[in-house]
Amino acid sequence: MSIVCDENSKVVIMGGVAGVSAAMRMAEFSYLCKLPFSVTSFVYPPDAGKTAEIQYGSQFLSIPIYKSVGEATANHPETNTALVYIGANRAYKGCMEALENEKIQFVSMITEGVPEKDAKLLIKNSKKLGKLLNGPSSIGVLSAGKCRLGVIGGEYNNLKLSKLFRPGSFGVITKSGGLSNEIMWLVSQFADGVTTTIGVGGDTYPVTDFTTYLDLFEKDSDTKAVIIVGEMGGNLEEEAATWYEEKPRRIKLIGMVSGFCQETLPKGMKFGHAGAKEGKHGEGSARAKTERLRGAGAIVPDTFGDLGPTIKQVYEDLKATGQAKEIKDLPFSELPDLPRKVEEVIKAGDVMVQPLFKSTITDDRGEEPLYCGYPASELISKGYDIPHVLGLLWNKKLPNDKEAEIIKRILMLAADHGPCVSGALGTIMAACAGIGMSQSVAAGLIMIGPRFGGAVTDASKYFNYGLVHYPNDIPGFLTHMKKNVGPVPGIGHRVKSLKNPDKRVQELIRSVKELGLRSPHLDYALAVEAVTTGKKDNLILNVDGCMACVLTDLGFPHQSLNGFFVLARTMGMIGHWIDQKREGGRLIRLYNYLVNFAVTPRREVPDRK
Amino acid sequence: MGKVLEGPGMELFNKWGIYTPRHFVISTTDQFESLLQSNVWMRESKLVVKAHEALGSRMKLGLVKINLDADGAKKAADEILGRDIDGLIISQVIISEMIVHEEEFYLAVTSTREGAEILMAKFGGIEVEENWEQVKRTFVEVGDKPTDEQLEECAKSAGFGGELVEKMRKFSHRLFEAYDNEDGSYMEINPLIVNPADGKLCALDAVILLDNDARYRHPDWNFSFASEFGRAYTEDEKAIMEIDSRVKGSVKLIEIPGGKVALLPAGGGASVFYSDAVINLGGTIANYSEYSGDPPAWAVEALTDKVCSLPGIEHIIVGGAIANFTDVKATFTGIIAGFRKAKEEGKLDNVKIWVRRGGPNEAVGLESMRKLAEEGFDIHVYDRYTPLTDIARFALKGEDN
Repeated sequence: MSIVCDENSKVVIMGGVAGVSAAMRMAEFSYLCKLPFSVTSFVYPPDAGKTAEIQYGSQFLSIPIYKSVGEATANHPETNTALVYIGANRAYKGCMEALENEKIQFVSMITEGVPEKDAKLLIKNSKKLGKLLNGPSSIGVLSAGKCRLGVIGGEYNNLKLSKLFRPGSFGVITKSGGLSNEIMWLVSQFADGVTTTIGVGGDTYPVTDFTTYLDLFEKDSDTKAVIIVGEMGGNLEEEAATWYEEKPRRIKLIGMVSGFCQETLPKGMKFGHAGAKEGKHGEGSARAKTERLRGAGAIVPDTFGDLGPTIKQVYEDLKATGQAKEIKDLPFSELPDLPRKVEEVIKAGDVMVQPLFKSTITDDRGEEPLYCGYPASELISKGYDIPHVLGLLWNKKLPNDKEAEIIKRILMLAADHGPCVSGALGTIMAACAGIGMSQSVAAGLIMIGPRFGGAVTDASKYFNYGLVHYPNDIPGFLTHMKKNVGPVPGIGHRVKSLKNPDKRVQELIRSVKELGLRSPHLDYALAVEAVTTGKKDNLILNVDGCMACVLTDLGFPHQSLNGFFVLARTMGMIGHWIDQKREGGRLIRLYNYLVNFAVTPRREVPDRK
Repeated sequence: MGKVLEGPGMELFNKWGIYTPRHFVISTTDQFESLLQSNVWMRESKLVVKAHEALGSRMKLGLVKINLDADGAKKAADEILGRDIDGLIISQVIISEMIVHEEEFYLAVTSTREGAEILMAKFGGIEVEENWEQVKRTFVEVGDKPTDEQLEECAKSAGFGGELVEKMRKFSHRLFEAYDNEDGSYMEINPLIVNPADGKLCALDAVILLDNDARYRHPDWNFSFASEFGRAYTEDEKAIMEIDSRVKGSVKLIEIPGGKVALLPAGGGASVFYSDAVINLGGTIANYSEYSGDPPAWAVEALTDKVCSLPGIEHIIVGGAIANFTDVKATFTGIIAGFRKAKEEGKLDNVKIWVRRGGPNEAVGLESMRKLAEEGFDIHVYDRYTPLTDIARFALKGEDN
C-alpha cells in the first residue's frame, strides 16, 4: 500500500513546458514499474486543442491539452489527481480550480515563490473542501512501484538504484526536494526502501502539514516507520511530536532537524528555505525541535551522518519483530532499460544503418564546420578568401593565389548587368509587388537557363569536346555543332560585336594572360571566335563562354560552372531588391503598348452544353 | 520575507492612515538645509536623528541622537553620514519630529499558519521583551477582518481603558489593513504613544517585514528590502542576489567573516545540514551558500567565484544530495570554470576542495571534478556511496576518520 497516490492515480498536469518535462519523468517511472502511463491530460490554455508527445518506452503517447480542469475531467473522468506547475502569480487560482473540481481528490503544487497569503488561503479552502493539497514548492510525491507525481526520484538510473520500482517499509516526509531523494537512497541502502515519499515544500506555510501525512501513514499497514526531515522555523515538527506522543502509535518515528548552525551564527542571520526562520523568542530552533521529538519518543540521530545507521537499526528491529522482511530484488539487468537513442546504439556499435545519402564536402558534427577538412576559422586566420572557400566547396581543392584571383574577378564581372535583363527584371517585378527578398531573388534566379546566363556549363562541355575531338580543326568542330547541337553555346551576343566588344570578356582574357595561367580551352574558344566572327560580327565569344573556358582551365567540373553565374548574379539581384525597397518601388504593370494584343475580338459566350 | 527600513516603512503606514511623526530621509546635509527652509516643524520641534541603515544596536553605536534643535540635528546628521561601521558606510539618516510622551504602548500583527494575531500591550519599549507573557493576543482567520468587539475586548484585556479603547480599536484596524493589503509577514509598532499635542495615537517606530514573493502584485513598493541580520549586505552578496533574481533556479550567498570552511553546496535543505555538520565538528563556516533548481552554469560560476574569494578559507565543501533534476554535469561545469579562474588568481593556494554529489549526469560531472587533480587542485571527490555530510568530517578530521 501507500498513501496519497498509487497505481489508480490518474493525473492532470496544469502548466506548460515544466509540466510536460515532469510528465516525461513520470512516464519513465510508469515504464520502469510496467504500469500504464498515469497522466491523462494537460491543462494549458495557450495550447488547448493540441497534444503533447510523451515518450513511454519506445512509444510516443499523445496526451491532450485542455483549457480548464473541468474540460480535462469531462474528457477523462478517471482523472483524480492534479499537479500544479503554474507560475506563482496564477497558481492560487489554478489550485482553487483543481480543488473545486469534484473529480480531483489530491493536488500537489510544484510552483515556487507563492505568496504566503495565497498559501494560507489554500490551507483554509482545502480544509473546507475536504481535500489534500501538497506544496507549494513541493518536489512531488512518490509511492514506490505505484505512482510518481512530479520529478521526485530524479533520473531513471536513480529510480533503480534507490529501488523505487517496488515498495519497502518506510514512509518519508521532507521539506527539501533534494533531501527527499537522498533519504530514499539512504533507505534503499540501509533498509528495504520506501512506501511513499512526500516533499511538502520548504515554504513558511506548507498547505498540508506533517501530522496529516503521519495520520495517513499510521493507517497504511505497509508503512512500518516514518522519517521526517525538518528544519528550524515553524512548528510542524513540534506538532508531529505532539501527534506521536498523544496516543500509542503503530509506526516508528525517525526525525532529523537542520539548523543547529544557527546557534553559533550572528543573530538574525537565516539560511535555507523561506520557512527556515527561528521565532523571535527562540521557538522553532533546531535544538528545541529535536528535544521535542525525542521527548515524544521519536528517534533523532545527533547528525545527518548518523541517519543511515539509525535507519538500519530501525529496520533490524522491524525484522526482529517480524514486521519487515528482507526483500529479494530482481537483478537490475532484469528491470526494463529505457530504450536507447539511435545515436547511442550506433555509437555502441550494436547496429548498422544504411545511410540515406553521402556527403563529401563539409562536416559540422564537431566544434565548428570543416570545409573539406579545414576548420573555417583557421582558413580565416590564415588569410584565405572567398574564392578559396568556393574552390573547396565546389571543386574540393584549395585554389592557389592566381587561381583565386581569377575566380574573384569572374564573380566581380558577372555580378550584375543592369535592371533590364531577365534575371534582374524578375527580381525587380517581384520586389515591386511587395515580395520578400529570398522569393524575389528566386524569381530572378529561375530566369537563368539556356538563354540567359545558363550557357556556361554547356559552353564548357562543347569547347572541351572540340578540344578533344577537333583540336586542330575548327571548321570540323563547327560542322559537328551545326549538325548535332545547333549554335555553339558561349558564342554570340544580342548587342555586343567585334566593333562593340564586351569589355568584361576582354578584361577576363587579359587577366588570364597577365597571371600566366594555363588556358587551353580559352585558346581554343578564341580560335573558334576567329572563325565565327568571320561569318557574322556579333558571333563573338560572350561572357558565358569566356567564363566557361577559364574555369574549365582551372579544373572546375562542368556541372559546377553555371554556379558561378548564379552566385555572381545573386549579388546583383539582392542589390536590385534592396534598391526597390529603399526607393519605394511601386507595383509594376506593363503598358498596353508594350504588348501586341494579337487576340480574338470580343464575341458572345455560347450556352453551356 | 523582506525587511523594510523605517523611512519607507512609515510611508507605507501613512498610506493606510497610520499616524507617524513627521520625518525625512536624507543623504546629504545640503538636503537638510533645503528641507529646513520649507518645513516649519523642523524649526519649531525638537528632532531625532538616526542612521537609516539595516543595523542593529544603533543606540549603542552612537547612531541615534535625540532632543536636538535644528542646528544640533544638522550637526548630528553630518557626524553620522559617512561613518564607517565595520565596512558599512552610513549613507542615509532619518530625521524625525521628537514627540515627548508619557506612556508607551505596543501593537503588532504577526502572521500565523491559520491567519494573523494582533498583539497589544499597555507597555512598550524594552518592557515588552521582559513581560512577553502579558502581551494580549487576538486571532483573525486568513481572509477575514478583525471585528470591533474583538479588538476592543483585546484592548481592554491588555489594560486599556476609557477613550484609549476606541483609539486602539481604530488604530489596530488600520495596522491590520496595512498588514493584510500589503502582504505583510510582520508589522510592529514599539513604542506606540499618545501625542500630547493632539491626543492621537502615533507610531514612533515601524518594524515591517513584507512577503518578498508578493512583490509582483505591489508595483508601488518603490524600496528594496534591507538585510535582516543587523548589517548591510556586502557587494558580493548583492551581486549574487541580483543574479538570483533573474535566473531559473536559485543561487544564494551570505558571508560570515572569520570562517575557515567555505560552503558551496546544492539545495536549500542539504546546505543547512552541511553548515550544521561543520559547526558540529568544531569548524567555522565562512559563508552560507546554496544553488538549486537547475540554475544556469554561468550563475553557478559567479557564485563559485565569490565563494573562492572569501578571505582566509582552508576548505571548500562542494556538497549536495542526489539531485532530482539539477544537472550535475552542467552545474559542475560552472563550478569548475570558477575554480580555474580562482586558481589562476592564486585564491586557492592551500585550499582543499571536497566534493560529494549525485543526480542527473552524476558520473560525468564527478569525473570532470576528479580530473581537476591533474591540473594541480587539491581536490577530493566522492559519489553517492559516501554519506552526504561525511566530506565535512574528512575536511576537518582527515579522510581516515
